[in-house]
Amino acid sequence: MKTSAILGAVLYAGAATLGMAAYAADPVTITIWCQDSETQPGLNLAKEFGEKNPDIKVVYRQIHFDDVTSEAMRAYSTGQAPDIIAIDNPEHALFASHGVFLDLTDRIAKSAVIHKEDYFPGPLASVTWDSKLYGVPKATNTIALYYNADMFKAKGLDPDKPPQTWDEMVDAARKLNDPAKNVYGIAFSAKASEEGTFQFLPWAQMTGGGYDKINTDGAVRALTIWKTLLDEKLASPDTLTRGQWDSTGTFNSGNAAMVISGPWELNRMSQEAKFDWRVTLMPVPEVGAPRSSAMGDFNWAIFKSSKHPDEAFKALEYFVSQDPRVFPDWGQLAARANIEIPPTGDAKKDAAVKVFMEQLKYAQPRGPHPEWMKISKAIQDAIQSALTGQASPKDALDQAATTIKGILG
Amino acid sequence: MRRLYSSLVDGRGFDLCLIGIPLAFLIVLSGVPLVYNVVMSFQAVDMFSLGSFIRPWVGFDNYRQLIAQPEFWPIMGHTATFLAASIAGQFLLGFALALFFWLNFPGASWLRGLFLVSWVMPGLVVGAVWNWLLSGDFGVFNFVLHQLHIISGNVFWRSDPAFALWSVIIANIWLGTSFNMIMLSVGLSSIPADLYEAAELDGAGALTRFWTITLPMMRSSIGALISLGLIFTLQQFDLFAAITAGGPNNSSNVAQYWAWDLSFKQYDFAKGAAISVIMIVVVMLASVYYVRSTRHEVRG
Repeated sequence: MKTSAILGAVLYAGAATLGMAAYAADPVTITIWCQDSETQPGLNLAKEFGEKNPDIKVVYRQIHFDDVTSEAMRAYSTGQAPDIIAIDNPEHALFASHGVFLDLTDRIAKSAVIHKEDYFPGPLASVTWDSKLYGVPKATNTIALYYNADMFKAKGLDPDKPPQTWDEMVDAARKLNDPAKNVYGIAFSAKASEEGTFQFLPWAQMTGGGYDKINTDGAVRALTIWKTLLDEKLASPDTLTRGQWDSTGTFNSGNAAMVISGPWELNRMSQEAKFDWRVTLMPVPEVGAPRSSAMGDFNWAIFKSSKHPDEAFKALEYFVSQDPRVFPDWGQLAARANIEIPPTGDAKKDAAVKVFMEQLKYAQPRGPHPEWMKISKAIQDAIQSALTGQASPKDALDQAATTIKGILG
Repeated sequence: MRRLYSSLVDGRGFDLCLIGIPLAFLIVLSGVPLVYNVVMSFQAVDMFSLGSFIRPWVGFDNYRQLIAQPEFWPIMGHTATFLAASIAGQFLLGFALALFFWLNFPGASWLRGLFLVSWVMPGLVVGAVWNWLLSGDFGVFNFVLHQLHIISGNVFWRSDPAFALWSVIIANIWLGTSFNMIMLSVGLSSIPADLYEAAELDGAGALTRFWTITLPMMRSSIGALISLGLIFTLQQFDLFAAITAGGPNNSSNVAQYWAWDLSFKQYDFAKGAAISVIMIVVVMLASVYYVRSTRHEVRG
């Protein structure tokens, strides 16, 4: 922990000196911090932008996912922030509300490339604070229900009519559950981390609840259903400590008949899963109820301290202009509704992407709120105390509501 | 000038340098962050005032709020259990192994070296491996216990509030045993062999020799090991992050993980600092007690 921080500081100092040296020789250097590696869009787009603009020198620094926010805060408070950063969407409001990010509203309004109306509402809301735009969505993702059509057939369920409501989903899980064969009806993640909140919040939102009204009757019903899934062993007790990636692993290996997870699994699934897997929209409380889903992935932002906001914005415009390549080249979903996803040649994957694109219309951001991580912790605690039987779902969510009320002020 | 030079090369100045340079390092590298941490625990820290030293003073507010949180006492209790069980387990297993390899059978030193693998591996890797081993549905640990007829159904080590803390303790004992073994092996090999020969001639059995020679001669090694164990165990963070993330519902949360979670997940740096200060106080009390008790024993 300590060494990596020191190493980071040294690396940063190195990058800063390099930047300064280049600054003296070259009129403009912009620094970009992002977690993307060679197989992801951030690094490649940054490199291309530098190559296409010989008058702008691009310094790219890859930061580890867990360090993005703390590194950025440290850098900003010591006056060494980069020009551009890629930040996880629920943390965007923290920086925007402190006036740390550049207000891009006017630039976007005048831009020939970036159009506010192109974006899905969820990602757009996550870069918005106080009705101003403080960034551009980099990519997006959401969750939906994957299911094993072969198991559906084997248990007499119609794979063309996957569960659409919560009750149907629990019923299906009961029918698909097969302890003798080590098969759970469903897998999801209720981990005591952001992943738990990410998976639960959509359930509350579908009933008209939300982080600011987390103890609605609908949310209590949702948590009660989660508890039923665990109490009846329709989902593994390890749901409480397992992240989404590992939970989906049990689905891929045929140990869970359904799983709630996101499009980031598509590539792995088409390689690993040796059965007919399909995706359907997140089940709703009852037929006709409003849909909702979680929303993940990163946003681009420019620091207010940037000495070259024009060039930095030009870089963002280049990134946005390349959005149509984000799925074909790197397997991520652009946050825009007006991009046609080309077929990949894998029929199961193509069908799944269509469902995710539909689901994205209903994806809602977490927050936006500057104290999101504390709010999220209160929700995680409620989920976990209810699922371990230490409090009833109602009491657990009431407690979370009280805590969150204190945070919201 | 010459006197100063000769004093620096071979004299009082040299001695002072020998002490002074490490001391200066210690103050800069440990002292300053420590003081910064203590000061921070009495301030209202905003995420963007992290870089400055002058911040609003709130006295004991951070501590008061921390203690008022319902999870405070359970977490402190878990920390104590984690400390006691980890240190005891590591020490007993390490001692047993050290005595075993002391028998010096063919290949003993080679095998002893192999045990160091666990100590060399990074905590996060150990955590990831144990995460799989302890998994409820497909874990190897359950399989072994099942084959030995110790359990009949699967135990969900990571996810059952009754076992979550113990799953981290098991992994931590595995991680620390080899270090204990090596330290104790060194202690064992420094005991002169003629002591045992003399005792054997006097007719002392193996147990008597262990109680009257081995243990008393090892007192300083054991004392050092236990205080080091206390420090390593209080620093153990990676295993919690990798295996249970403090869950379910804080049942495996300990002070050090909570401090990290508050500081770097919830950005409540002041409260994170306050927990660290509480931990520092506990370690200091323990080390004072240790120093005093061993001094007393030697004199008595």
